[in-house]
Amino acid sequence: MEKQTIDSMVGVLDARMNRQLKQYMDICVRCAICKDACHQYVGTGDDKYLPARRAELLRQIYRKYFTKAGQFLPALYEAREPDENLIDELYESTYACTGCRRCTYYCPFSIDTGWITAVAKGVLIAAGRGNDMLGQLADAALFKSENMDMFHDIIVDGFADIEKELHEETGRDIAIPVDKQGADILYVALAGSHSIKPAAIVFDAAGANWTLSKFEAANYGFFFGDPAKAKLIADRFMNEAKTLGVKEVVITECGHAYRVAEMFYEAWAKEKMPFKVRHVLEVFDEYIKDGRIRVDPKAIGERVTYHDPCQIGRNGGIYEQPRDIVTAIAPDFVDMTPNREKQWCCGGGGGIVAMEEFNDVRLKSGAKKVEQIKATGATLLACPCENCRLQIAELNEVHDLGLRIVPVMELVAEALIVEGASKPTA
Amino acid sequence: MDLFSYLASGIGVYVGLVVFTLGMGWRVWQWMRTPRSPVRLALYPKPQTSLGRLGKLLKDTLIAPQSWETAGTLMAFAMAFHLAALAAFVGHLRLVHEFTPLVALLGVEGMNQFAGLSGGAAGIIMLVVVLYWIARRTYGAYRKLSTPEDYLLLALLLGIVVMGDHLRFVGHLHASTYQVWFASLMAFKPAFPPELADSATRLALNWHMLFVDAFLIYFPFSKMTHAIGAFATNLVRSGE
Repeated sequence: MEKQTIDSMVGVLDARMNRQLKQYMDICVRCAICKDACHQYVGTGDDKYLPARRAELLRQIYRKYFTKAGQFLPALYEAREPDENLIDELYESTYACTGCRRCTYYCPFSIDTGWITAVAKGVLIAAGRGNDMLGQLADAALFKSENMDMFHDIIVDGFADIEKELHEETGRDIAIPVDKQGADILYVALAGSHSIKPAAIVFDAAGANWTLSKFEAANYGFFFGDPAKAKLIADRFMNEAKTLGVKEVVITECGHAYRVAEMFYEAWAKEKMPFKVRHVLEVFDEYIKDGRIRVDPKAIGERVTYHDPCQIGRNGGIYEQPRDIVTAIAPDFVDMTPNREKQWCCGGGGGIVAMEEFNDVRLKSGAKKVEQIKATGATLLACPCENCRLQIAELNEVHDLGLRIVPVMELVAEALIVEGASKPTA
Repeated sequence: MDLFSYLASGIGVYVGLVVFTLGMGWRVWQWMRTPRSPVRLALYPKPQTSLGRLGKLLKDTLIAPQSWETAGTLMAFAMAFHLAALAAFVGHLRLVHEFTPLVALLGVEGMNQFAGLSGGAAGIIMLVVVLYWIARRTYGAYRKLSTPEDYLLLALLLGIVVMGDHLRFVGHLHASTYQVWFASLMAFKPAFPPELADSATRLALNWHMLFVDAFLIYFPFSKMTHAIGAFATNLVRSGE
């Protein structure tokens, strides 16, 4: 490997070094308690997906360039100059990681392997080995924001079409406001109408003063492993929120988008935002509890279970609001075991659903989720994350689970009681 | 003192303690001068108050209840080792200063019997756990994950424990003899009392101390820094 490339990789590791990462690098005892916590290792039995092994690869570079002991006795510490073999293994173990942090939960030292792999992705990008697909998707998102003049009318026309569809489906005139100055809420959806329509129905029923972002919540810069790009992608709707003067940014059912906006963005931007960030289900739960919307408590007749997406659950703290919503409309609710902070990752996070090369490991790593779902006997899965839904839909097909996989907000729209409504709401 | 005794049980002890103290200080300073992560890395649910955070930190670090759920056997062995090591450490403090209230309570003979039983139990537990750890590193995923550093540390621990157990179970000297040697160390005039210098136990003590010295010297440059670092990393888990 060329010296310039190695310098570049080491430079990235140096730039991303912080106290926590340094401690994670220094104190792991390789006890491998994390192995049985990782859905990928449990599902595949492959050592390269063992969380401590993923971290160990970056640790080999760290020891070589950041510790005197590793430089003095490289064989003892397995300190190593990066070569193609190391990069190959690092690529596979790093981009396969869904960043669910279940290993962190069970680690006696709380070593954050998800964070370590995020840094490792930066090192891979410096080596020219970032994942192409994720990189292209991130660039496409940035292209859209850089050329908004070109896209603006197309986007607004698309929203008008969704308004027409809503009229046909509900019989009501439900507006989808865009660029609404002084709105209370900027709702940031995903590409496609499926995350816009149910939200519009509920916001309309609640009489909310809202507006829809022209930008989608998904952040492939984050999955790619480039915080600078991730920030630029999030900048799009954060700047929009500032311009419109909203009181809160409400993120749709997209796990990583919520975590980026709520947990990371202010640190990246180095400024306090003049609005709060909430998950759409926090808002809808509040609407139900405050009586701003009414829902049919028996709207969902079948048995329902709920999947905690890692990025809003273990990594975001949203456990009860989605459950409260589901139990308010579905009398036969059965939780998975384990659940909440111990919930198994479905295997679809971290951008892995966009990388075909990992299809095999991704499907194998869903084994625990399949077991959990089967044990509930549910026929409907309420799931507030796009990546989780894509993964579980594929598991549903492969394992013939007979599940209906539905966003929670769509269930709310289904269960909504609207005075004078002549047609079903969704 | 002969040369080996002087190196292992004399000057080596000072070198070990100095390197350990300065090394750990240097390690902590290195951590402290590195900027904290700007982003929030907590796991949820997290405590809402500072006191709650402190309680969770202590629980996560000293008990690690979540780790028991997924690796009960390993945690049982690890907990047994750490408690036995703590007991052994406390027991060794007797060499610095006799536990006078306990001696008054139990009598000299009774104290020696108590120390023999508790120290012996701690020594056996540590030996069993170290052997378990070594065995665990010889197969499957654990072997592939292990580095030479892991084996070196286990070898040092094995040396310390085996020779310590030898002193406990085979040697016939009581604490009072070792107290004289320790007093000489603290006076910076290391010397063995005649009953130790003339005994075959001297060799076992020297090997025990050689492993201890090496362990102390290596400690700050190894994964043993988890002894302090785990408090910091577990605090991150509980958030701001």
